[in-house]
Amino acid sequence: MRLSSSTLLHALGLAAVVAFSLFPFYWMVAASFKTQADILASPPVWLFTPTLDNYRAVFSDSKVFGAVGNSLLIASATTVLAVLLGAPAAFALARYDFRGKSDLWFWFISNRMMSPIVLALPVYILALQTGLLDTHLVLILVYLTFNLPIVVWICTDQFKSIPPDLEQAARLDGADQFTIFRKIYLPLGAPGIAVSAIFSFIFSWNELLYALVLTRRNVQTAPVVATSFMSGYELPWGKIMATGTVIVLPVTIFALIVSRHMVRGLTMGATK
Amino acid sequence: MTFLQLNNIQKKFGEMSVIKGVSFSAQKGEFVVFVGPSGCGKSTLLRMIAGLEDVSDGTLSIDGKDVTYEEPAKREVSMVFQSYALYPHMSVFENMAFGLRMIKLPEDQIKARVLEAARILQIEALLERKPKALSGGQRQRVAIGRSIVRNPKIFLFDEPLSNLDAELRTQMRVEIAKLHRNLGATMVYVTHDQVEAMTLADRIVVLRGGLVEQIGTPTELYDRPANTFVAGFIGSPKMNFLAATVDGVDGGSLKLSHPAFAGGSLTVASDTAGRVKTGDTIIVGMRPEHLTLDAANPVLTLALDISENLGGSTQLYTTGGGEPVTLVVPGRPSLNSGDGLNVGIDASHIYLFDAAGQALRASH
Repeated sequence: MRLSSSTLLHALGLAAVVAFSLFPFYWMVAASFKTQADILASPPVWLFTPTLDNYRAVFSDSKVFGAVGNSLLIASATTVLAVLLGAPAAFALARYDFRGKSDLWFWFISNRMMSPIVLALPVYILALQTGLLDTHLVLILVYLTFNLPIVVWICTDQFKSIPPDLEQAARLDGADQFTIFRKIYLPLGAPGIAVSAIFSFIFSWNELLYALVLTRRNVQTAPVVATSFMSGYELPWGKIMATGTVIVLPVTIFALIVSRHMVRGLTMGATK
Repeated sequence: MTFLQLNNIQKKFGEMSVIKGVSFSAQKGEFVVFVGPSGCGKSTLLRMIAGLEDVSDGTLSIDGKDVTYEEPAKREVSMVFQSYALYPHMSVFENMAFGLRMIKLPEDQIKARVLEAARILQIEALLERKPKALSGGQRQRVAIGRSIVRNPKIFLFDEPLSNLDAELRTQMRVEIAKLHRNLGATMVYVTHDQVEAMTLADRIVVLRGGLVEQIGTPTELYDRPANTFVAGFIGSPKMNFLAATVDGVDGGSLKLSHPAFAGGSLTVASDTAGRVKTGDTIIVGMRPEHLTLDAANPVLTLALDISENLGGSTQLYTTGGGEPVTLVVPGRPSLNSGDGLNVGIDASHIYLFDAAGQALRASH
């Protein structure tokens, strides 16, 4: 097969984009296997003898384990709640007309327009006064307020693409609203729900600002711990990069698992 | 016994009136077809029977029970959608079983009913497949199967054949007719295709602009259309209309003039005395298939524009007095464009309408 020049250019362009987005990851993973001297070498060393010292340091640090556990708990709880609350809301927004629907919709979208730091201080004061500071719950609640609009947004769009005839056929078949949601919209909307779950999980997993502001010692999340290594006069790059790699790994695996749902063209063949 | 009764049914979307008062009733086991041009409200009317659209005014009853405000499922009707509306994530079996699972039928009965419907529709081999692995005709069968299993009181069809190609459409049309015969079920069928209406219906309801134009058997609509709209809608190619002027009224006959008439005038027997006077406009309707060539007593003098050879018959597009007139004649007459034609018609096949388009009938 002959490659045309446009295909070639296309491939080169793609390769450039991939290299651009993957290079930081390569740098992080590579640095996690380097000694401090190799990391700071200039010009950079491309060939080096890998060391597991950084990982030993990370895994012997009990703070890291606790932090990964915290992150896992908070991100999972946030994602589950966001989907449980968001998907039915999206169903209602996609299929029913009710008063204030467009206002509600605008509110969901406009939520994402505000910079998170604007709310940091009020949220901190609220958390302080309610005694929720440094608890899992406060981060779950805060992340939920950020993630719920995304879940609602993506799922509404997905649900709207499901032909209304299916719902009407189900109504004639005797299905009630909840059954229609569960048996028709949830399975057919799975790609959208999966995407919104990924977003929600990754956002909660990576979030640093509120985690820094709202936690002290008990509920530090993984990104907070990773940055906490940069203390005083010490900058243990190897350990920070190893922690970073450990943090990125679960989300990558999670994304790989759910991505199968995203590519399944489920609505194909529903209607002519 | 009246099985389905619509009583002055109305539908408004906001200020817009879509169905402006439709009344009609169907007997048990009857095949009723709603036909009309797009936007006439036929689908809306069907969806109101199904319960998918609210009724703005009027009452609706099925099997003697008022269901005007009843939930769709409780009306015990089933519907075949134009888009088929199969559940894409379920197998054919599950698609057909869905409604039965909703009424919590035991699993062995569900299986028996689905298999029975699959046998009737010859889709037993497809039960494990997903809808996307089916052809258009197969999806159509599954959609019909899904409505059969529930044993509904009324089957509703919303333009079920419009997504199929011409050959398959004819085939499915015959199958639906057979199904109706075998199940003896009451069916209401919506189409814009008058051929489907004529071939399937026990009775046709012709709708236009949210109102009933005429209700009757296919033969009644063809032989005695109530107005020019029905006359033009039923029959293919459509009826020819010539707006003639009344030259004289003489007892039981009318003398009409139009440049297309042989000799410029035509005398027809019609006991419309008193309702028609000299100078009135009368619309004369003649079906293309009733017109004959080389008549001994020609009624029309026409000039041929184009002839279409359809194999067994020939369709002639002609002009008479500036008006287009279509003929369908048997065989393949050898004619050239521009040829003058002396066209005849049996007097009993001449339809007369007043200037407003209403049929002029003897007072029966």
